[in-house]
This record gives sequence, C-alpha cells and structure tokens, in this order.
Amino acid sequence: MSTLVDEIRSYVVTEFLDGEDTSDLTPDFDLIANGVVDSLGLVRVVSHLSRAYAIPVDDIPLKPEHFRSIAAIAGFVESARPAVV
Amino acid sequence: MPSLRLCDALAGHARQRPEAVALVWGGRRTTYRRLADLADELASALDRLDLDRRRPLCVPAHKTPETIALLIAAFRSGHTVLTPSPGLGAAVLGTLTAQARCSAVLTVDDRGALHHDDVPQDEAAADGFDTVDPSVSRLLLTTSGSTGTPKIVPVAADAFDRFAAWAGSHFHLTEQDALLSYAPLNFDLSLLDVWTGLRLGATVVLVEEDSSTDARHLRELVTAHGITFVQGVPMLHRLLTGDDARYPGVRTVVLTGDTVPRPLLTRLGAAFPGARFHNVFGCTETNDSFVHEVDPGAAGERTPIGRPLPGVRALVLDDEGQVLDGPGTGELYVSTPFQTAGYLERRRNEGVFVPAPDGSEGVFYRTGDVVSRDAEGLHWLEGRTDFQVKVRGVRTNVQEVENVLAAHPDVAEAAVVALPDPEAGYRLHAQVTRRPGTALTSLRLRTHGAAHLPRHALPSSVQVGDTPLPRTATGKPDRNLIKALRQKGHHA
Repeated sequence: MSTLVDEIRSYVVTEFLDGEDTSDLTPDFDLIANGVVDSLGLVRVVSHLSRAYAIPVDDIPLKPEHFRSIAAIAGFVESARPAVV
Repeated sequence: MPSLRLCDALAGHARQRPEAVALVWGGRRTTYRRLADLADELASALDRLDLDRRRPLCVPAHKTPETIALLIAAFRSGHTVLTPSPGLGAAVLGTLTAQARCSAVLTVDDRGALHHDDVPQDEAAADGFDTVDPSVSRLLLTTSGSTGTPKIVPVAADAFDRFAAWAGSHFHLTEQDALLSYAPLNFDLSLLDVWTGLRLGATVVLVEEDSSTDARHLRELVTAHGITFVQGVPMLHRLLTGDDARYPGVRTVVLTGDTVPRPLLTRLGAAFPGARFHNVFGCTETNDSFVHEVDPGAAGERTPIGRPLPGVRALVLDDEGQVLDGPGTGELYVSTPFQTAGYLERRRNEGVFVPAPDGSEGVFYRTGDVVSRDAEGLHWLEGRTDFQVKVRGVRTNVQEVENVLAAHPDVAEAAVVALPDPEAGYRLHAQVTRRPGTALTSLRLRTHGAAHLPRHALPSSVQVGDTPLPRTATGKPDRNLIKALRQKGHHA
C-alpha cells in the first residue's frame, strides 16, 4: 500500500503541482477543496488510474470523495484494481 | 513646470526666500535662488539653440535638479515638453519623439551643461497625432505603457493649476513642508510631489533613480530631511515600514497606485504615529479623482477609494451601459477638472473619452476600472474590466484572488495572472513572495485561498518563493512578464 501511496503522490505532484514545494503534501491533504484538482483535473485523474491500474473507466465513479486526497485515491485503487494473479 | 503660474511662483520664492531649499538630491541641496539661476542659464542656452516653439522638446525625465531646472527653463521660454521615462529604449524614444513632432532631445549634465540631439521631422510617423498648442499644454506625459509604445497625454496648464490648488489645500501643504518624491519624474505623481511642492515653495527631496529599492537609504532620507509628506505605491510603504522604523515628523501619507493590504496599513499606523493617511485614486489621463482618509487602527479588510474629489463627477455603468443611481457595481467613468483633453493620437480617444453617459455636459474618461458604490456613497475598487476572466465558465476577478492571497500574514506580495487554457478558458497562476523568515508553502497558501475564495477562483498553480516579484517602471508587479515567463515555461 505504501508503494501505491508513493506512486499516487508522485503522479499528483507531477501532474498538478509541477515545480511547487510539496514537502508538506501529506496523504490526507484535501486536493479538491484546496483547488489542486478541479473538475477537469478529476477527469484526468480517472483516465490515468484507468490506464495505470487497468481499471475499466466505467467502473470508476466520478465521485469526488474517491479522489479527495492521495490516501483516498490509493484506497480506491486498492479496492478497484483487478487482483494480481 | 506645467504652467506659467508655477513659473511666477518659483520666481517669487527665489526673490523672497532665496536661501530656502527647493530640492535635495544625492545629498546635495539646491536653494530656490540656485534653482532660478540654473533655470536662467538653461533658458539662455535654449534661446541660443533657437528651436521652433511650435514643436515640443523632448526631455527624458532624469530625476535630477538640473533636469527640473531645464524643464522650468523650457516652459518659461514658451516650449511644450515631452517627458518620457529615461529608461526607454532608443527605438521607442524615436517613435515617441516623431509622434509628438519634437524638435530635439535635450539633456543636461550635473554641471548644468545642455546637450541636444535634433529630431528629424517624420510626418508619416506623426500621421494621426494632434499637434500641440503651447498656449494650452506645456507638458506631455506618457502612460506607463505596459505594452508597446506609451500613449502621449497632454496636460493642460490650467488643469495643472487646478490640481495644484486642490492638492495644496486638501493636504494643507505650505512652504514649511518637505515632500518625499519617490515616483519617477515622468509619472503623474510628480505633479503633486515635485511640481505642486515647488509651486508652494516647499522642499522636495528626490529619491534618486537607482535608490528606489534601497530601504535603508529611503529611511535615512525621510529622517534626515524632516520629511512631512510621503506619497507612494505600496512598495515604498513596505520599504519604509520595515525594522519597526518610526517617523514622527511625517504628517501626511498618501497611498496610491495599488491596493494596500490591511497588514501593511497596520504597520503604517505604527511607523507614522503623527500622520493622516489618504488613499488616493487616479490615473495619468484624469489625474486624481477619488480620495479616502484611512484610519489604520480602524481599517477593515479592504480600503475604499472613497468619494470623488471636489469638482469630479463619477458615474458607475452596469453591464448594459446603464448609469447606476444608487449602490451597485460597474465600470467607472470620471470627469475631472484636471483631466487631459485626450491622447495625442486621435484614434485612441474613440470610446475612451466619451460624451457624458448620463446626458449631461462634459467629457468623461472610461477608466476600465470596476468599482462598487455602497449605500453611503463610498466607492470600492474591485479590479479592472480586463481583469475579469472566465475560469471554467465562471466569471472571475483576478484582482480579487490576488487580494485574498496578499492578505495571508506570511505573504509579502502576490500577483495573480490569467493564462489562456484550451480546456478551462483561463486558468489562474499565482506568483507569491513570502515574508523573510516564514515557511509559507504553496499548499498552505492554497488552504488559505480555499477558506476565502469560491472553488473556481483558486489558482491552478501557485509559486511561492523568496525573490521579489518583477516590477514595472512604476513599481507595480509586472503581471505581463509573470504571465509571459509562466507561459514560456510551459511550452519549453
């Protein structure tokens, strides 16, 4: 799980916080309320998760609560991605 | 300089109080007698050049006693003078002098010697530009020109006289005062802190061109020369109020050029314990139009620009172009007793200098500023019409976002710019300088923004750093440059 959190964190930093000081970006920082991920950004996150973790887009509900923080995204991916055989 | 009355007043001071100090510059004091002598010598030198008085002179506005003496000399000799920023490149200066049909570019060195370069006549470049009548206007100012060639703004002599009369009485200025002149000499603020000061026989302390960000030097100037009047943009006030400096001798502080955040107001109150504070609003085209006296101890989150000055008419027009009677928000149109008759370039005036929108008499200047008028008749600056952008379809005022970020206690200064975005229409980028010694991060600033702004108005990118923001010649954050650098970075 911690690897997954790191992966998501790295994605969020590259995609949404390019060039910013993110030393204080914690897994529970509210990405949506604080304007890091907006409604258009949410679409990008969903599309990325679908590709990176082989989750069918149709299975990803566009609900902000799944994407509110790095921890929430990691939790969602953990529960939704296909079990590794 | 900009009127004959000013010249008469200066001659009077030189006769009656010859040893009174007119100008202080670089540690050097110039008395009214010396200033008059210098102007006499330069007037003779000018006469020997035998320049055509129907064509303006161009005097790059170096901020020195000699340049001021040259302006006085030129004016007294019946010339109109264009005073562009001394920092203009040769190409822009060439364009401006051709547009104004100048006869020569004149400079004076620190020994009082006059130098001149003839300007070739170029009727093609001057096509569409009015000729200047020296019996009406003796001074041609330029707008700060954030894009392209600055616009030339003639200042009528009687408009200056009316302004000097208002300013002198409103701020209770007398020959006993010492005014700090911080703005560049080409800037309209000089009409108050240089020319009105000299007209009254006061002492004008010139901040040298290369010292404008030297906080220690500025503080020394205010203290050492018994300054009583300080006018400037927020940057000056920031520089003066560092290190708990105090200036009990200052009795008037004029805030102008940009909005003053409350934390700065609080510091101003402590730094100038004997002063009254005036938030003054205006522009090169109209000169000052609004004033509001501020009590730093009782200041709210925002400071209004207040009410129109005596003789100023102000109209607020809503989105449909209807004149608002009572409270409301819209674009500000003003007509002032001090305003220019129009830009020298005729086509620039179309839609900008317009007949009174309420059907009354007079010409109004369309400011491009969005203001709100409250139930008490106080006006509040909301931003520029061109600061309004749509972010994801929602009308957003970039300036409001900037004000919110600037209100964070760890923020020294903040600039927010709107960058075109194929998806969002515009997205906002914030460039922020934190206060020294604070550990402000972009995420913390985002959290602050989220607490005060609607979601759509939160900047998509926030850069927090320790280096000051890039500035325009007039000391405001250079938003165009910030925008350009950010866009360039993204394409790279």
